[in-house]
Amino acid sequence: MAEPELHDKLIPIAEAVRKFIPDGCRLRSGGIALRKPMAVIYEVMRQRKRDLTFLMSGWTEDADFLIAAGCVEKLEGSYLGLEAFGLAYGYRRAVEKGIPRKVVIEEYSNFGMTMRFMAAAMGVPFMPVRSNLGSDLLRIESFRHPKAAVLEDPFGSGDRVALLPACPADVALLHAQRCDSEGNAQVWGQIGDDLWGTHAGKKILLTVEEIVSTKVIRRDPNRTIVPGFRVDGIVHVPFGGHPYQVQGYYDADAAFRKDYAERSVTLEGWQAWADEWVYGVAGHDEYLKKLGEERLNRLRAKRLMSGQVSYGY
Amino acid sequence: MATDAPQAAPAREYKLTELMAICAAREIQDGEVAFIGTGLPMLGGMLAKYTRAPNCIMIFESGVVDARPRRTPLSIGDACLVPGSVMLGGLTEVFGLLMQPGHVDVGFLGAAQIDRFGNLNTTVIGDYNAPKARLPGSGGANDIGSLAKRVIVMLKQDARKFVPKLDYLTTPGYLDGPGGRERAGLPRGGPSAVITDLGVYRFDQATKEMYLDSCHPGVSVEDIRKNVSWDIRISPRVKTTKPPTKRELRVLRTKCDPEGIFLGT
Repeated sequence: MAEPELHDKLIPIAEAVRKFIPDGCRLRSGGIALRKPMAVIYEVMRQRKRDLTFLMSGWTEDADFLIAAGCVEKLEGSYLGLEAFGLAYGYRRAVEKGIPRKVVIEEYSNFGMTMRFMAAAMGVPFMPVRSNLGSDLLRIESFRHPKAAVLEDPFGSGDRVALLPACPADVALLHAQRCDSEGNAQVWGQIGDDLWGTHAGKKILLTVEEIVSTKVIRRDPNRTIVPGFRVDGIVHVPFGGHPYQVQGYYDADAAFRKDYAERSVTLEGWQAWADEWVYGVAGHDEYLKKLGEERLNRLRAKRLMSGQVSYGY
Repeated sequence: MATDAPQAAPAREYKLTELMAICAAREIQDGEVAFIGTGLPMLGGMLAKYTRAPNCIMIFESGVVDARPRRTPLSIGDACLVPGSVMLGGLTEVFGLLMQPGHVDVGFLGAAQIDRFGNLNTTVIGDYNAPKARLPGSGGANDIGSLAKRVIVMLKQDARKFVPKLDYLTTPGYLDGPGGRERAGLPRGGPSAVITDLGVYRFDQATKEMYLDSCHPGVSVEDIRKNVSWDIRISPRVKTTKPPTKRELRVLRTKCDPEGIFLGT
């Protein structure tokens, strides 16, 4: 028996961004190279949010879009590039030339960022790692002082660790395959750092491909990575991860990513791209219409069902 | 095979990117656990699995263990890595449970700059606060270079990349030489080979310094010297890299990257 206020979690995307992502907040994106909350990223651009601190282990277009749009002031993370498609030119223009504004980054490694999210998720001030030692990741600070500390094992093993500070987010974004009306969210395929990164959010804004009956969730609870009572907002956005993949739903749109990589090399090219695909598009539904049914059908995943297990006892 | 032609490279039946992927595959021993990134290392991993190391286990950063992809993965997170793998988790499982305690034999890394001790820069070119070029940063590279039992570095070579001093030390090689990793507190590891489009380099066990082990067919020691910005040591027994076998080339082209995504068309 769902209570009425629980249903209020399900809101349209523009309202979700207005409500949960204020200017200047610490915003955590999700999904390493797949299952990224792109529908939210586009809406953050349209609402011209400012001064965000953007947090992530592996950024790609999500960060490049927001930086080139002038939404970001600071970054804490570990990688920002377009993978096989090349360097992130929005990011390069911002760091190298201050266009459209200067952004600063505090750099960690992928494992380091994951452990920082884990610390925030678990409510402890820091986590140790055995990497980062001896590198400029520990020596060169940008805006966090100190960004890390080195500790010799107080229990006498002689081992040394780097302590990395917790990385809490004001709001964490997660794009999941499905949830029920309470927001019990299920994810499958590669998890990246989404378990820890999502739970590092004081608030959690969930976007999903599908909203299913709570029976579907409760029949397979091992797949849930965040329980509904931790979730503050739910947005139903089929193809909400485009141009990335969502396991079981659709493949990556490589042509779209290649087009962005090529056009974003120049500032004018980026602006034309953003006018065409973001500012000139009213919202997610119009974005999908612009992509067209034929293109979306081409991307749709074929069925490849898992086996089933018995939860009997 | 013309190994010493000084001017025009001999007509080859293979591309240098293909030779690099094949050299990478030859570094993986059967039964080893290999941590694989996108691009040429992935092709190397797949090639090793299809040829000399059928029991090697490929693990991927976003959480896949023992992947058996049926197409060329475009990224480390590609969903095609998932069906047929033996375990799925995330960064915590791969880095925390498998890499940090020392269960990964070999990792592969790229670099924009490398120095004589195999330290790597993938962060900036120029001054950190006013860079000439901002690059992607560490990603998982620092973790792989710090925690794998050994790493193989792959990059296209020129003198601006083989530098006496890095603009930013993203990933530790042997740091300042013998004992450097131990002094920093790193638990193990270090680079064992550097594969470029000109040759293959290894590291002296005593001095931890890089030396030229083999020149690719058609490349001279002089070519190598011109493309390193320090006085590179040359092995007294410097060899010519064994050219690709027909089988290596066939498997690479037909099974690892049939569309030429990373090898070029």
